[in-house]
Amino acid sequence: MTSPSLAASKNMSSLESLLRPAHFVSELRSRKKAQVLDELAAALAATGVTRSPEIVADLLREREALGSTGVGKGIAVPHARSTLIAERAVLVARSQKGIEFDAVDGEPVHLLFLVVAPPMERDPIYLKVLADVVRAVRLSRTRQRLGDAPDFETVREILIHAAAE
Amino acid sequence: MPPLNEQLDALVTLQDIDLMLRDSRDPEMGTHEDRLGFARENVKSLEKTRERLRSQIDEPLLRTYERMSRKIPRLVVPVEGRVCQGCRMSLPTSSAGRNTPGTSIETCENCGRILYRI
Repeated sequence: MTSPSLAASKNMSSLESLLRPAHFVSELRSRKKAQVLDELAAALAATGVTRSPEIVADLLREREALGSTGVGKGIAVPHARSTLIAERAVLVARSQKGIEFDAVDGEPVHLLFLVVAPPMERDPIYLKVLADVVRAVRLSRTRQRLGDAPDFETVREILIHAAAE
Repeated sequence: MPPLNEQLDALVTLQDIDLMLRDSRDPEMGTHEDRLGFARENVKSLEKTRERLRSQIDEPLLRTYERMSRKIPRLVVPVEGRVCQGCRMSLPTSSAGRNTPGTSIETCENCGRILYRI
């Protein structure tokens, strides 16, 4: 399991230190919320963040049953802390066609940011990462650029700059 | 009752749901989620899931969880290698842990947490 080293992450924001190429899904296969959460959990399992993707996906569905994390304007930030998550992670995923996500504005979701962490009570870094993600995508031009970005490195740069603005 | 490994899966999920429920009742966490635009109006759905999970766990194990999790919020922890992820102590090589009375669940000899082998 690879984590950014302390030295490398010293001058990085919480969000920046968690953005990894292996946690980028350029185009999701599924268009339904439940299957998308399966796809995202499987991507976490591929990098060792969890060994139980089915249970993590179920937990994400439970969080969505509590209330949608589709915050509108094509953005969703599914999130959960779980015993079965080994380390904090942010997974960025896109869908050109859009996903039915029961978002607050009823519009399909095109950009997803899955935020997971181990089950620490009131984890300040987890909360900050959630806030950083939501702040980073508040401008329409940023969302457009993220959708058009050709690769992970471009997505990463856009997010880091937008979160710092 | 389902087999032990399935009960443990249910127990782990129950613990995660309990954390979600604590968050949803915590004014500070709630304000944070509200401010970010995350909906969380359907707490009843979580409570329903909680009841379903409870019904999948043997009574002695459930009692142990409900009693001990008041003192240790993260009571069920994974084992990585031979290390308890709750207290980070190595488990003895002779036995992976000891059994909780009335169940065959392993617990950490050092911190008493319930061990979950993935």
